[in-house]
Amino acid sequence: MTGQTHALLAVLTVVAVLVIVRLVRQGTLKAKYSVLWLTVGLVLAVAASVPTLLDRVADRLGIWYQPTLFLMLAIGFLLLVAMHFSYELSRLERRVRALAEELALLRGPVEDGGDEAS
Amino acid sequence: MRTAVIIPAFNEADALPGVLADLASQVPNHQVIVVDDGSSDGTHLAAVAGGAVCLRLPFNLGIGGALRLGFRYAVREGYDRAYQFDADGQHDATQVPVLLEALDQADMVIGSRFADDRGYQVGHSRGVAMALLRRLVRITSGQQFTDTSSGFRAFRRPVLEFFATEYPMEYMESVEALVLAVRHGFTVREVPVSMRDRVAGTASNRSLRLVYHFVRLFIVLLAGRPNDRTVTWGRRMTRSRQVASRP
Repeated sequence: MTGQTHALLAVLTVVAVLVIVRLVRQGTLKAKYSVLWLTVGLVLAVAASVPTLLDRVADRLGIWYQPTLFLMLAIGFLLLVAMHFSYELSRLERRVRALAEELALLRGPVEDGGDEAS
Repeated sequence: MRTAVIIPAFNEADALPGVLADLASQVPNHQVIVVDDGSSDGTHLAAVAGGAVCLRLPFNLGIGGALRLGFRYAVREGYDRAYQFDADGQHDATQVPVLLEALDQADMVIGSRFADDRGYQVGHSRGVAMALLRRLVRITSGQQFTDTSSGFRAFRRPVLEFFATEYPMEYMESVEALVLAVRHGFTVREVPVSMRDRVAGTASNRSLRLVYHFVRLFIVLLAGRPNDRTVTWGRRMTRSRQVASRP
C-alpha cells in the first residue's frame, strides 16, 4: 500500500466515524445500531492505521492473497446485518398488524358512515 | 346459538349491497360483520347501509389480517360460531345452512366446490395450482381435502379463539390456516356446496407471484411454521377468553 492510499483510507475512516457520531447525537440513529456501526468504524480505523496488520493476520491464517481476508470479513458482516434487518422487519410487521387490528377494535364499529376520516 | 358472518372487504362497495341483501333474506338472524380492509371506495358506507356492523382497518392488511380482526371481534362479542363469506358475490347464501349443519359434527367446516361433481369450472393453470395445493395439504396435515383454498368456511368458538391470535396473514393464508387447524387437533370437515362464478374482479394468479407464494407456503408448512402471534397479546386473549367462557 502506498502512502497516498493509506492517507486516503485514514481520511475516509475518520469521516465515516464522524458521520456516525453525528447521526447518533442527533438521535437519527438509534443507539443499538450506533454501537454496531461504531464498531465497524473502529475496526476500519485500526486496519487503516496499522496497514501491515491485515497482511500479517492473513499470512497467519494461510491466506495467500491478503485482500481476500478483508473481503471475506466484509461480506460476512454485511450478511449478518442483512439477516438482522430481516428479523427486525418481520417483528415490526407483526407489531404493525397487531396495532392496526387494535386500532380498528378501539375505534369500534362505524356509525352511519358519519366519521369520514380518509 | 349466536352466529356471526365475517366478510372481509377491500373496495367492494359495488358488490357488497347485493351480498348483504342476499344474507339478510336467507339468514336474517345472523349478525353480519364486515371488515373494511382499508378500502377507498366507501365500502364501509355500503356495509352500514346494508345493516352490517363494520370495522375499519386503517390500511390494507390483506384477507388474513381482516379475518383475524373479524375473529377477534366475534370472540370478544361472545359469538358461539361464525362463518366467513366473500364480499364479491362468489358465495351463495342459500348454502349457509349446509355449512352450519355440518358444524354440529366438526370444529371447522369447509364448503368445497369440488367435493362432488357440480361442474365448477377453473382454468388450466389454476387447476394445476389447486392440485398441487391439495397434495401439499395432504402431506402436511395428513388429511385429504378437495378444496383447500375455499373461503367459505364455518368455525366453532374454540377455533375462533385459536384463529383470533394465530390466523396467518400472507397471501394464500386460507391453505395455511387449514393446515394449522388440523395440526392443532381440531376436527375439520368438508361439505360440497355450489358457488357462483366470480362476478367481477380477476382471480389472483399472476404466475410469477403465484410461484413465489407456492414456494413460501411450501417452506412455511414443511417447517412447521413458527407462529405469527405477538406474545403480549396472546396473554391478553387468554384472559378475555376466561371471562367470556363464564356461564
